Amino acid sequence: MGDEMTEQNTAFRFHGSWGEFARIAFPNLLLTIVTLGIYRFWATTREREYLWSKTQFIDERLEWTGRGIELFIGFIMAFLLIGLPFIVIQLVSQGLIFRGEALIAGLVTLTMFVLLFYLTGVAYFRALRYRLSRTYWRGIRGGSDDPGFRYGLSYMLKTLLGWIPIFLLVPWSMISLWNDRWNAMSFGPHRFNATAEWKPLMKRYLLFYLAPFLIVIGGAVYGISLAVSGGAPNALGSTGVAIGAIVVLIAVLAFYIFLPLAALAFYSKYFRLAVGGLKLHNLEFDFRARAADWILFFLANVAIVICTLGIGYIFMPYRNWKFFIDHMEAYGEINIDELTQSETVVAKHGEGLLDAFDVGAI
Amino acid sequence: MSSFFDAWHYDGKSAAKRKVEVQVIGRQFFLLETERRHGPFAFADVRYVSQQGDTDVYGLADMDGWRLMLSGPVPADLAALLPVTRRYGGFIDRLGLGKAVIALALTSAAAVAVVLLSPQWLAPLIPASIDDKLGDALVGDFGGRFCHTQAGDAALKTLVASLDPNPGDLQVEVAKIDMINAVALPGGNVILFDGLVEQAQSPDEVAGVLAHEIGHVRKKHVMQALLRQMGLAVVLGGIDGNSGVLVNNVLAMSYSRGSEAEADAHSMQVLGKANISPVGTASFFDRLSELDGSAGNGKQNAGIAGYLSSHPLSGSRNAAFEKSIIKGKNYKPALTSAEWNALKLMCKQDRMAKSGFGFDFE
Repeated sequence: MGDEMTEQNTAFRFHGSWGEFARIAFPNLLLTIVTLGIYRFWATTREREYLWSKTQFIDERLEWTGRGIELFIGFIMAFLLIGLPFIVIQLVSQGLIFRGEALIAGLVTLTMFVLLFYLTGVAYFRALRYRLSRTYWRGIRGGSDDPGFRYGLSYMLKTLLGWIPIFLLVPWSMISLWNDRWNAMSFGPHRFNATAEWKPLMKRYLLFYLAPFLIVIGGAVYGISLAVSGGAPNALGSTGVAIGAIVVLIAVLAFYIFLPLAALAFYSKYFRLAVGGLKLHNLEFDFRARAADWILFFLANVAIVICTLGIGYIFMPYRNWKFFIDHMEAYGEINIDELTQSETVVAKHGEGLLDAFDVGAI
Repeated sequence: MSSFFDAWHYDGKSAAKRKVEVQVIGRQFFLLETERRHGPFAFADVRYVSQQGDTDVYGLADMDGWRLMLSGPVPADLAALLPVTRRYGGFIDRLGLGKAVIALALTSAAAVAVVLLSPQWLAPLIPASIDDKLGDALVGDFGGRFCHTQAGDAALKTLVASLDPNPGDLQVEVAKIDMINAVALPGGNVILFDGLVEQAQSPDEVAGVLAHEIGHVRKKHVMQALLRQMGLAVVLGGIDGNSGVLVNNVLAMSYSRGSEAEADAHSMQVLGKANISPVGTASFFDRLSELDGSAGNGKQNAGIAGYLSSHPLSGSRNAAFEKSIIKGKNYKPALTSAEWNALKLMCKQDRMAKSGFGFDFE
């Protein structure tokens, strides 16, 4: 068999429906409540099984083989490795403060946060590795042999380097870390090759970065022009106060509306660049959602959650996945006979820490 | 016995999709391709993986990515040999969703009940050495904030001895902290804050508060609260974030009210035995509840508010202490006026003791 497939427009297709997902999401919610939250690992698994099985890549559905127990073990590990020491260290440092050893208490707390910082990086890496190793397509899975401990160090280093020049290098650190992560991953016998560039991201980042200044400066300029033209609130009486109030209101709204929108515009460009720089053997990937798509998607999510008094929240995994798949694209060809089974190790535990921190997908 | 059935198959080694015929021979089966025969495989190794539309997908133990996909009606003799399909997984499928939900809800309720009720029985079983070590770790020398003068120490010793038959295993100290508060900590540690001693109008008031804190120690409330908090943290650990903390606090709070009442009862009983009038303590709570209404401004009130938050409902407690007054009984003051003076001035006279928390609030 040597059927080579060239793919044009729709390599990824999503076939799921709200109704079907609801029949999974509502029992999940019920079971999660009566188990005081413990069922949520199995709930996540059931949702992923459904979403993956409704996702078609070229001619075959994806398959999620992760188990609830793996996520549960991951959670327990995160609790024992981080939650418990965290509580103990907090007690100890409180005791130290009581005894007047504030310096030592500060050092202990600092060490704890550095460790947490490091483990967050490791967790990002391992969550991606876990997801790839549990995702099958035509009986073939992905994964990585890298345990991610070195990635944890580079996560700390690059994140700090991104912060040092007054946060101006954050786009560089994000893209660089994305590349580091994906370059360690593979699917079947093939390594991913991530070569996303960060410079094209800077314009969008500056838009977000400078937004607060622009709003403040704009407000100040307006206020000064009012004062100079003799239109200060006092001179105008109650109308002036009303105008002043409106200006303040607009400034506040601009802050709370424009800033998230600028953040979404940045993230949309980031994701497009990151996915666009990704290759797997002869396959190239593309993410086609533009800033406007992200903003509509985000506003619709907010509307759904608000209009359903919060219940709509359980549909967010469905919405996120559908958005992701609808805009994913792949070009190139796959030689089916060359696509052999992955030799990578399979960890027996899930994305514990990431779950504990409640960090989202890919 | 031998029967045939058409199916799709991935061997897990390459991504090639194979159309096969399932040939059943006893408890084993072969997969027949046009020119190849795969197998034999044992039905005992077959695992249910997932459902995709009307297709059931099966895997094989220890064969990564091996898949057998059966669609449409499967012949009864083959179906009988295959593992059952999985919906929720585990016992939930065996019980049915409704019964499982009831069983899980009852289990959760029982777990919470055990965690809430067992500390009462468990706390006395914790060895005194652990309690002492914990207290020592937490308190130590309190950063040199304990006040000591010869006369003051003697007065405090007299007071403690009159309130407890075994003063040897209590460590009662006055700390140079200007807050109206007193705390009971593990290991029999009771700390009176100097703010409380200074504003007290008679030694009887201090005696009532001290007896209350000793009540916490003798009834093992501190260890109980610690165990309860730890237990709740574990049981409610599955609920994420704020809701878990909220439930935890509400449950813990309802128990702390019970403990306060118990400590009050202990205080009244001890005062009665020591022939000390509860009038002072009652008026102390009276002043607290008066200040309660106007709390919120001034340094004094901030201290009062601190006491209120950890010792709630001062109005009704005042009434309880007043009720315990026996009319016509010949009470004696808790301390002589010389002793009372020594205690009050202890922190002023001890210039070695450090004050405050080591960092300035104001």
